[in-house]
Amino acid sequence: MTKVLMKGNEALGEAAIRAGCVHFFGYPITPQTEVPEYLVKRLPEVGGTFVQAESEIASINMIYGAAGTGVKCLTSSSSPGISLMAEGLSYIAACELPCVLINIMRAGPGLGGILPAQSDYHQATRGHGHGDYQLIVLAPASVQEAVDLMTLAFELSETYRNPVMVCADGMIGQMMEPVEFPTEGRGEPMADNDWALTGSEGRERRIVNSLYLSPEDLDAHNRKLKAKYDLIAEKEVRHELYGETESPDLLLVAFGTMARICKSAIDDLQAGGAKVALFRPITLKPWPYAACREAMDLLPADAPVLNVEMSMGQLIDDVRLAGEGSRRVEFLGAAGGVVPTPEQVAAKIRELLP
Amino acid sequence: MSPTAPPLLAPGERLVMLVGAYGSGKTEVAVNLAIRWARAGHKVQLADLDLVNPYFRSREQQRLMESHGVRVVVPPGNLAGADLPIVLPEVIGLLQPAPDTITLFDVGGDEVGARVLSSFRPGLREGLYELWQVVNGSRPFTSDAAGCHRIRGELEAATRLRVTGLVGNTHLIDETEIETVLGGLRLVEQVSKESGLPVRALGVMEALAEDPSLAEIDAPVLRLQRHMVPPWLTPATDGHAACTSENQPAPRPRPIGVPPRLRTQDARGERDGIHPD
Repeated sequence: MTKVLMKGNEALGEAAIRAGCVHFFGYPITPQTEVPEYLVKRLPEVGGTFVQAESEIASINMIYGAAGTGVKCLTSSSSPGISLMAEGLSYIAACELPCVLINIMRAGPGLGGILPAQSDYHQATRGHGHGDYQLIVLAPASVQEAVDLMTLAFELSETYRNPVMVCADGMIGQMMEPVEFPTEGRGEPMADNDWALTGSEGRERRIVNSLYLSPEDLDAHNRKLKAKYDLIAEKEVRHELYGETESPDLLLVAFGTMARICKSAIDDLQAGGAKVALFRPITLKPWPYAACREAMDLLPADAPVLNVEMSMGQLIDDVRLAGEGSRRVEFLGAAGGVVPTPEQVAAKIRELLP
Repeated sequence: MSPTAPPLLAPGERLVMLVGAYGSGKTEVAVNLAIRWARAGHKVQLADLDLVNPYFRSREQQRLMESHGVRVVVPPGNLAGADLPIVLPEVIGLLQPAPDTITLFDVGGDEVGARVLSSFRPGLREGLYELWQVVNGSRPFTSDAAGCHRIRGELEAATRLRVTGLVGNTHLIDETEIETVLGGLRLVEQVSKESGLPVRALGVMEALAEDPSLAEIDAPVLRLQRHMVPPWLTPATDGHAACTSENQPAPRPRPIGVPPRLRTQDARGERDGIHPD
């Protein structure tokens, strides 16, 4: 299959079509606007539906409606727009509807800036909206991985009837890399199921609802959701270990663009004999705690873990949870669209190595 | 390229505007042309007119271009980083460059990005400008001649200007092979044949530019160095090709804000192919 050169944002859009999603509802915001720009051209070619909503609140509620009818659907935004989607997303998760949303993170808080950041990590992994619900969150570190994870996102959303977020920073969305798509043409629609609202003529009616006035019923509903999230945590964790994977003297933890930069730093330091590994969570939710702990256990007794982020320290909470207090966790971060360079990462590593 | 290939710029040509589909490589071509012409001893000014996308714009290489003597026209200060549709008044003055100056306009992608040029239409007479369509056959929507023609129609409608030439720029970044380049050459030649527009340049990454299969082609070869890179790769700064693979360790770039090493002399004396007078 021939490779094509695509921006991360475009590749995410095309990957959705290949995964069988031909319904998009969204609103433009830098730096993700190429997702709707690409899909507005491509969806008519494959008989799809593109709606530019009047706001992100409208977008997510259009997704709520579309997902309720059992079609694969996608929305896309960047940080402030994702914030606006919080309420609708909670409803979708409560109703156990499958859908995929993309967050191409930009610098915050507030209106912030338009350059890349990873500062929506807590928002993505700690629930986002109200109530006891969880997303599945996938974090690509290359344009090819963005394609692969979009395919996976639609599979997981259908399997678990849960919203899935593909969470990338502005750099992954904006950069171009050669990519290959796993399949040709428009993918298959969602399989028939017994919950979708497709018109009740000739069958029992179905109800999509998140209102439970009986506390016992709502408690039971939450327990059912929790059991599902536990199953997802058991089965769907994904990660990568890079660099010195036998006996490293220092372990980096980073995701997305920051992981690419850490890999460059590791490659540079390897020439000088430094033994450094990178642990990269690919699923930010469920988080690969056990695998990260195993990677930490490769280190000598007093060796530190270095957590690197394009934020002021959010991923570090999960790194500390993985270490359960067994490791010193050092931090290197930047915000506002500033991206730590491979030299800065390497300098921090040199400072920490014995 | 063939010894009889024409120069990149013909006598009297002073204003070159680059347009094309989104992601076709206009910025990389513009930065390379600006540095090349400046190093060949010409006065060069480049206006970054990308109003539609705040990432990977030529202004990111402002310091590099300035170190080669290129005058770079971008909004000042914080405004350079904004996604606001700012067109500086001085850009109008660039439309009629002095006889010894070459002006380059790097424009945003697709008809949306190119539309800014339509506001200059009253000041632009045919024959006094070059409007080159950059074509990358590895990109979606321009993988065949029909796609390139369609984009050209959209660009011409949006700019109210006629495209005057083509720049072949088919590549897959660090996965570019000579077959990729030759496939792109066939594409741009077909577009040329069907449209009557000349192929003004064939962009080829430095590492492939000496390939024997390019020795006899009719179009001028524009040797390209990679300047527009993500933060984990090293941009070309001093005449040597960038490290283009994650797997090949290379010297890393300076932290943002430190000017690139100045080039003290033009070791290669790259004057081939440019005779603006």
